[in-house]
Amino acid sequence: MRAENPRPSGSLAQLLRQQDFVGGLMGIGLAAFAFWQSADLPMGTLGGIGAGMLPKSLAVTLGLLSAALVLDALLAGGPTIDRWPIRGPLFVLGAVVAFGLTVRPLGLVVAGPLAILIGSLASSEVRWKETIVVGAVVTAACVGLFKFALGLPIPLAPWLIGY
Amino acid sequence: MPDLIGNLGLGFATALTPMNLALCFLGCLVGTLIGVLPGVGPIATIAMLLPLTFKVEPTGALIMLAGIYYGAQYGGSTTAILINVPGEATAVVTCLDGHAMARKGQAGIALGIAALGSFFAGTVATLVIAAIGAPLTRLALLFGPAEYFGLMVLGLGLAIVLARGSVLKAIIMVLSGLLLSTVGTDLETGQERLTLGIADLSDGIDFAVLAMGVFGIAEILRNLENPEARAVVRGAIGRLLPSAADLRKAFGPIVRATGLGSVLGILPGNGAVLAPFASYTLEKKLARDPSRFGKGAIEGVAGPEAANNAGAQTAFIPLLTLGIPPNAVMALMVGAMTIHGVIPGPQVMTKSPTLFWGMVASMWIGNLMLLVINLPLIGLWVRLLKVPYRLMFTIILLFCCIGIYSINNNPWDVYFTAFFGLAGYLLIKFGLEPAPMLLGFVLGRLMEEKLRQALALSEGSFMTFVQRPVSAALLMIAAAIIVIAVLPAVRRGREEAFRE
Amino acid sequence: MNRFVAVLAAASALFATAAIAQNYPTRPVTIIVPFAAGGPTDIIARIVGEYFSKALGQQFIVENTAGAGGTTGITRGAQAKPDGYTIMMGHMGTHGAAPALYPNLKYDPTKDFEPIGLVAGTPILIVARKDFPAADLKAFVARLKDPSAKVKQAHAGVGSVSFTSCTLLSSQVGAKSIVAAYRGTGPALNDLVGGQVDYMCDQIVNLVEQVKGGNVKAYAIATAQRSPALPDVPTTKEAGLPEYQVSAWNALFAPKGTPKEIVAKLNETLVKALDDEATRKRLLDLGSVIPDKAGRSPQALAELVKSEVARWTPILKAYGAAGQ
Repeated sequence: MRAENPRPSGSLAQLLRQQDFVGGLMGIGLAAFAFWQSADLPMGTLGGIGAGMLPKSLAVTLGLLSAALVLDALLAGGPTIDRWPIRGPLFVLGAVVAFGLTVRPLGLVVAGPLAILIGSLASSEVRWKETIVVGAVVTAACVGLFKFALGLPIPLAPWLIGY
Repeated sequence: MPDLIGNLGLGFATALTPMNLALCFLGCLVGTLIGVLPGVGPIATIAMLLPLTFKVEPTGALIMLAGIYYGAQYGGSTTAILINVPGEATAVVTCLDGHAMARKGQAGIALGIAALGSFFAGTVATLVIAAIGAPLTRLALLFGPAEYFGLMVLGLGLAIVLARGSVLKAIIMVLSGLLLSTVGTDLETGQERLTLGIADLSDGIDFAVLAMGVFGIAEILRNLENPEARAVVRGAIGRLLPSAADLRKAFGPIVRATGLGSVLGILPGNGAVLAPFASYTLEKKLARDPSRFGKGAIEGVAGPEAANNAGAQTAFIPLLTLGIPPNAVMALMVGAMTIHGVIPGPQVMTKSPTLFWGMVASMWIGNLMLLVINLPLIGLWVRLLKVPYRLMFTIILLFCCIGIYSINNNPWDVYFTAFFGLAGYLLIKFGLEPAPMLLGFVLGRLMEEKLRQALALSEGSFMTFVQRPVSAALLMIAAAIIVIAVLPAVRRGREEAFRE
Repeated sequence: MNRFVAVLAAASALFATAAIAQNYPTRPVTIIVPFAAGGPTDIIARIVGEYFSKALGQQFIVENTAGAGGTTGITRGAQAKPDGYTIMMGHMGTHGAAPALYPNLKYDPTKDFEPIGLVAGTPILIVARKDFPAADLKAFVARLKDPSAKVKQAHAGVGSVSFTSCTLLSSQVGAKSIVAAYRGTGPALNDLVGGQVDYMCDQIVNLVEQVKGGNVKAYAIATAQRSPALPDVPTTKEAGLPEYQVSAWNALFAPKGTPKEIVAKLNETLVKALDDEATRKRLLDLGSVIPDKAGRSPQALAELVKSEVARWTPILKAYGAAGQ
């Protein structure tokens, strides 16, 4: 994972491929966001610490250290980020979100196979017939396990049978 | 001493009745199987299975619930090792070396040593409970908010030392975790913090959601990109169980960890979560070759797992002797006991000795059962790893989704998991480790709560941390740990600067 | 002719709803409990739910949707389909104190629900650590009012029963205590037993064994009669503070629009549950108070909700203003 780099020759594009540089920038971004969001929370005094003291001080410290990381990347180089494929994250995360969206209105009966189908789009190794069978079988197993064996209140198919 | 033997005798007589044995076995089995489901930790498992125990009489029901609890703990460790998803806060450390071992094809050994280590720790812990449980509780009561704060700061120090890479990045991760822990409603004033107006964030971020996203989903994404790194590939399964050499290496860590876990588990309010971290750091410092840690060192699994189990057992002490639950799982047990008509309190030990000693005895039996159930299962799990990943990962994904949804029956938890999955993926890309962040997150809430309580009770005086001996001692140890961690990095930095 | 059709239509509608009510329930019913499993409200819901399941022949499943002092679960319940298959267990916090504590509350306790009936109340106890230097309630209150005594109070978090009860006490006696917030009853009770804080006001369910075991001492119980679970603890009336009367009541609600016949059937079953020997025993063992016949109707509940909202709003808003 670590590909040792000599000091970068300074082009922005190369900088943006350095782990520490971008990571540090994200840290600064997170810190700034957190500080902004907690801006109107009272700091209070040391005797009565307010709601805002901890988030703000953490944000400030995080920001400073992230800046140090960025500096470190600029001065000393570091490993580069390897490629950024979109397919994997898109479909895996999409599957999770799809499950969340459909589980209540459409129930496990729909959300299950949907998650499996969308998820399998993430991998180029996927074979369709297998996936459909797996989707059906696993959903059936989950229904049996979670709904009937354990009695979890997870919706089955509200549009079909009402619960 | 004769008292102890007599009581244990009573306990075993109760626990060894066919009915109670069967319930213990059932509890352990079901607990393990449910605990193995990614995203489903002990709390969710017990809450799910609580209704099953209603049909049974109190002692039996509690034995079964306790069995479910240990089973779920161990099941959580199983997923930590196999697919890098910690079922509970205490399993995060197991992910580090446990999953690394799985990647090297040593999943069976990791699972085996976890089981054996846990059994040893459980045995010792049971003896501790039986012999000195009650007086230990009095000691634990001396731990007020200031002492607790000291302990939490110590924990943060451990989190930094734990990290594999640069200290700076570890501190950044810990800070991010602390920041995430502030999301939610302020403890004292009820104001919303960092919730971005989303109602479902007003109780903060759920640990399971964070852990599943940052570890589990990110792991799936990583495996999809790098087929060579998958746990399944290092095909030759070879030995399924630890060898004698492995056992010898693991023995020291297990013994030390048992001590750590037993002590920390008694502390009210989840002190037990520190035990595996403390054990891991201790072993890393004691090892002759610390660089093995993080790449599959058996001590890194044996120690934390033993610490885990010891802590889980001794966590029953405040519950059984005082009737006050030290953490959320025990609070559930209180509810369970109450539903069965046994209201937990300081008099349970004297008024219902069969219940008390029966439970103590069944703790040991439960540990034995876990060994009996899980060692054969290792073969099954390892074979499961051989299922082609293109099928496995969607199944894992679905189980994760169902597991997360059932925690609170809230689809927002599922959305957040996706978000943290993305975050975890980015962390991998940037070479940042999630473990310190998770520890920061877990400790953050406790730390802030205790800090504010301590200051409220001392009316704003910071001197309270220094005046109270235990808290002062803990803070000094914490400072020492942090200095030890940071010093080599600083020295290296200076050397590098010199070389320029 | 038209009138005849109208009457026929009305009559069939009437029979249809009556028929629906007759058959209700035909599938499992969800009871939303807006707190974590194992707490007092959850236990009461499960005890009663078990009776319902037996009496009505369909599973009554408890669904724990915890969050924001119970308001998350209640919001979900209020927005659920009003077909009688989702009901919820609310309590003094969610349907009394919530409007004052949560400015963005997404429901109105007095308007968005069909009250089914009061289930059980858990009386509030005033307890202190066992070595606290006050022999009875009067001495205790005297110390509370004295700012130099620096009396320390613990509560389980803003929005919890222990918070609202103690706020009421403080406002009634003019207490000058130092307040420490905890995350939940367990840690708060732990520090009380350990002597790190001085007192708490919480539900009897959580405290009964500690008092019996001598780990904490109880000064008074805030109801009209002594509790059979703790017969030696005087009522606030006997001990000199009659205006302090609080009970963490728990009740069943259905979303607005649930058919009247179904609500009536649920209420009927609830009344029977509260008369059932086994159910009564389990509730009484917890220390809870079972409402009498007059207090079990939906109308009584509706009035209780209105009066509770009116009672808590000024007190808690005053705290909010001071606390911020």
